[in-house]
Amino acid sequence: MTNKQSFIKILRFVPMPVLAILVGLLAGVVLWAALDLIQGRAVTKIFTSELHVQLELRSRESLVRFDRYIANYAATTRLLANHRRLAEYLDPVIWQPDDNVVPTVYDRFQPVWLPDIFDRYGLPAPSHVLLLDGNGQVREIYQDDEGLPLIELSPEIRSALTKPGGATTILSTETNGVYLAIGDRIEDSAGYPMGYLVVLVPIDAAFLAASQQGLALQRVAVALIDRTEQRILSSIDPDSLTPGTLVTDWEDDHVVTSLSLPHYEHLDLHLATFVPHASVDRMSRHVRSFEWRQRALAALVFILFYSLIIYLVSARLNRILTRMSRFAHRALGIEQPRFRRGVNQLLLLEEWIRDFTQLVLKARQELSRHYENEMRETEALKAAIMEASLDSIVTIDGRGRIIEFNPTAESALGLRRNEALGRLFAARALPASERPRFERLLARSRLAQREGREPHVRGELAALRGDGSTMPVELSIVPIDVDDQSFYTLYMHDITKRREAEREIKSLARFASESPSPVLRVTRRGRIVYANRASRDLLKAWDSDANGHLPSEWLQEVADALIDGQTREKETIAADRTFALLLTPISDLGYVNIYARDITAVRRAEQEARQHQAELVHVSRLSTLGEVATGMAHELNQPLSAIVNFANGASRRLQGPNIDPDQLVQVMGQIANQAQRASEIIRRLRALVGKQPPIRADADLNHLIREVCSFVEFEANRADVTIHLDLATAPVPISVDLVQIEQVLLNLIRNALDALSDTPNDDRRLTIRTRAAHDDAECVIEDNGPGIEPAQMAHLFEPFFTTKDSGMGMGLAISQTIVADHQGRIWVESSPGETTRFHVTLPLRSARTESITDNAT
Amino acid sequence: MTPQPTVFVVDDDEAMRSSLKWLIESVGLRVRTYDSARAFLASYVPEGGTGCLLLDVRMPGMSGLELQGYLARADITLPVIIITGHGDIAMAVRAMKAGALDFIEKPFNDEALINSIRRGLDYDATQRAQRLRRAEIATRLGQLTPREHEVMNLVTDGKSNKEIAATLGVSAKTVEAHRARVMDKMQARSLADLVRMALVVADATD
Repeated sequence: MTNKQSFIKILRFVPMPVLAILVGLLAGVVLWAALDLIQGRAVTKIFTSELHVQLELRSRESLVRFDRYIANYAATTRLLANHRRLAEYLDPVIWQPDDNVVPTVYDRFQPVWLPDIFDRYGLPAPSHVLLLDGNGQVREIYQDDEGLPLIELSPEIRSALTKPGGATTILSTETNGVYLAIGDRIEDSAGYPMGYLVVLVPIDAAFLAASQQGLALQRVAVALIDRTEQRILSSIDPDSLTPGTLVTDWEDDHVVTSLSLPHYEHLDLHLATFVPHASVDRMSRHVRSFEWRQRALAALVFILFYSLIIYLVSARLNRILTRMSRFAHRALGIEQPRFRRGVNQLLLLEEWIRDFTQLVLKARQELSRHYENEMRETEALKAAIMEASLDSIVTIDGRGRIIEFNPTAESALGLRRNEALGRLFAARALPASERPRFERLLARSRLAQREGREPHVRGELAALRGDGSTMPVELSIVPIDVDDQSFYTLYMHDITKRREAEREIKSLARFASESPSPVLRVTRRGRIVYANRASRDLLKAWDSDANGHLPSEWLQEVADALIDGQTREKETIAADRTFALLLTPISDLGYVNIYARDITAVRRAEQEARQHQAELVHVSRLSTLGEVATGMAHELNQPLSAIVNFANGASRRLQGPNIDPDQLVQVMGQIANQAQRASEIIRRLRALVGKQPPIRADADLNHLIREVCSFVEFEANRADVTIHLDLATAPVPISVDLVQIEQVLLNLIRNALDALSDTPNDDRRLTIRTRAAHDDAECVIEDNGPGIEPAQMAHLFEPFFTTKDSGMGMGLAISQTIVADHQGRIWVESSPGETTRFHVTLPLRSARTESITDNAT
Repeated sequence: MTPQPTVFVVDDDEAMRSSLKWLIESVGLRVRTYDSARAFLASYVPEGGTGCLLLDVRMPGMSGLELQGYLARADITLPVIIITGHGDIAMAVRAMKAGALDFIEKPFNDEALINSIRRGLDYDATQRAQRLRRAEIATRLGQLTPREHEVMNLVTDGKSNKEIAATLGVSAKTVEAHRARVMDKMQARSLADLVRMALVVADATD
């Protein structure tokens, strides 16, 4: 343990790249050693076996060459045997059969039929060429060399060579050495079989060398050996490999490989190759050095590769460590471990991870402590919220069972908390018709949560109160996932009041649309943002529509209304209709509400009423006197007519013969009754005029004059008279019976108008003056009519005095009565043909008040 | 047996009614008074109601003019005398245009009133006699055969018998016979008589 710790301590200070090189070297050495161990042995083994193979191959090659060389020789011999010259040579020859035939020997003679055919094919010339007859008797011998002995062919060889089949090749080991003997049949030119041609060639160094042409003699030597005796019969290099020596003598210095000659096995001959040991060793050395070089290269590559890999890894580690330490420093605020160069990064990393793990553990503990605290706080807060919430808060689990229930929910749903827990929310709190919607809301919330959208879902439902009645609620669902279980918190807000308020607002909002009068709302710039149905005509007249603009002339009004915040009332005529517009600014919203009222009918009615009234007053003023007079006349006419009838009837009877006095008495009574009736009518009339209680009202004389002038305007126009008013600048206050004084003024003005009827049109003048003098209000009505005769002046104010054809003669009389009744005076000044002035004075109001006060006291 | 003609007085004023009755009775005429147009219509029977109607223009309810119009539409040919008060001239004119016989202003000149009434009564009597005669002739005409009717028309046109025979394609003798029967059935004493009858009928049908 301590060893390990101390080792690690040392290792701490070895940087990774150094370690990498060290390890690489070590690995290289180990590899080297292992390869040396394994590969050296293997190489030796391979080399040995390979050497054998190589040698055998070499010797086989030698054998093949040798064999082929012999075959070449045989072929050449055959050419010779069938040569035309030989056939021609044989034509005249006749060999008689004879047992003892001595062959003719030609030494060093080149017969004509023997061309230099062997030279031409690069073959050594044969030592002997023999011609044999059909029985195998040798007839002619041609010896190449003088020194060469004549060869006695053994009968075995002779029979072997003279097979009737044709060419035969054999090797024979004669005493002088090894020979190659080749026999072939010969014929003369007529085709008669003459016998056999036999060629003998000694297999000596030259032959072997020729057969092994191209072979490096210093490296390898070839020899024919006797297998049984293991003796060299002929060698390619007789100087170094002496024929007649034993093979074993050579085996110390050479590697000997012998192979049997396949076609000549019966001769017990082998062709052997001799490879000197020195040559083999050289080759072996060469192979080993090659192998060593390869191995060294492999080890070097290995070291380099390994070091590079480790180095790269360590460099990467450095970077990772730098980053990690930076991260630790920045994100976690950990100073240690700080990365240093020149130490072992792996160990550093390990330490770092250990530290980091501890830190994380610590942090996690702190976090969890913090989280627990927070949870406790949240729980407390949640409980407080649940308790205090004005909304019903219900938590249900995935199956819809209530698991939390706040006091508001208790009172709203009429259910104690402990009763509610564990029960199905939908079944308890919702009417059956609303449950599917509730399920849909839940499903939507779940889906939204699963798709990562805001899972908060709202809906409006009806909920059941404790007493079974329903209430509209706004339901808000928040899904919560805890430990793979789904919960939902439901917030229910009783919106009964809101609904009512909404309905109220909606119904209020309908006011405008239902209004039969146009209601508009416009912006500061006169854009119409609302217009009810009734405003269509108005908008059309304005050449605008519900989305249009106010006419430009109204923009200033709208702007002004918004600036001073004052409601203003305007009138406008649009499309022959009169509208009263009430502009109400809503300054904070920048709108102006326009309430229009179609007052066409009102205005028309007013106008008509004014006209009508004027006419009515006019007519009534015109006819009042006539009416009274006519009524009075009719009333009086009745009793008077009756009296006349009674009286006439009575006088007729009195003229007749039969007089019934009773009847007459009765009629007299009737007459008296009717007279009584007439006087009653007159009395009633007087009572009507005289005994009315005075009515007094405050008025301005100027105003009365103007009013009366408006009554007679029509008449004045018809009479082509312009009434000139010269009224006091200040009001002339009087307290009078308005109707009576108007009647007086009307009479006087009308009289003046009548008086002007004979005056030329362009000279008609009617002037009315008023003034306040001392205690009196005075009014003068002046015309330039014909005037009043002085004789008439005295009777002017008497009843029934008139100068007109159609008059009653009551106007001035009544006027005088009325004026006198008001403690005023009326008189006339007239200069006939010039002017006539009627003066009316009435007490000014203040003077009159005093007099009344005096009377009272 | 002609019925006694009656002066019918319609006036809403009681004194007027009784004074008129008193005055008119003083010349021996029969008088019946009614306080309204409706009261008069309720009791009046056209057949026996000969005489004349004295009518006040101004009355509450149905006015004198309305009653006059009603009588005209009901084909009652009672002569109407209108009584008007002061200033009712326009109404009197309208009444005259509507066929009133006369109008009298209150208070009355008794002579004028009585004359007017007398004229009314005479007019009524003539009217009734004429109507009676026309009815009689119409009855006689109804007895003629179509052929006789044709002959009568041609005769009253002043055609001679020969002309009539040529027109109708019959002999003069036959015309003679038809003519005699027509004279007989029409109870005409002469040709002039027959022509008068034809004129009476023609007047009525005009």
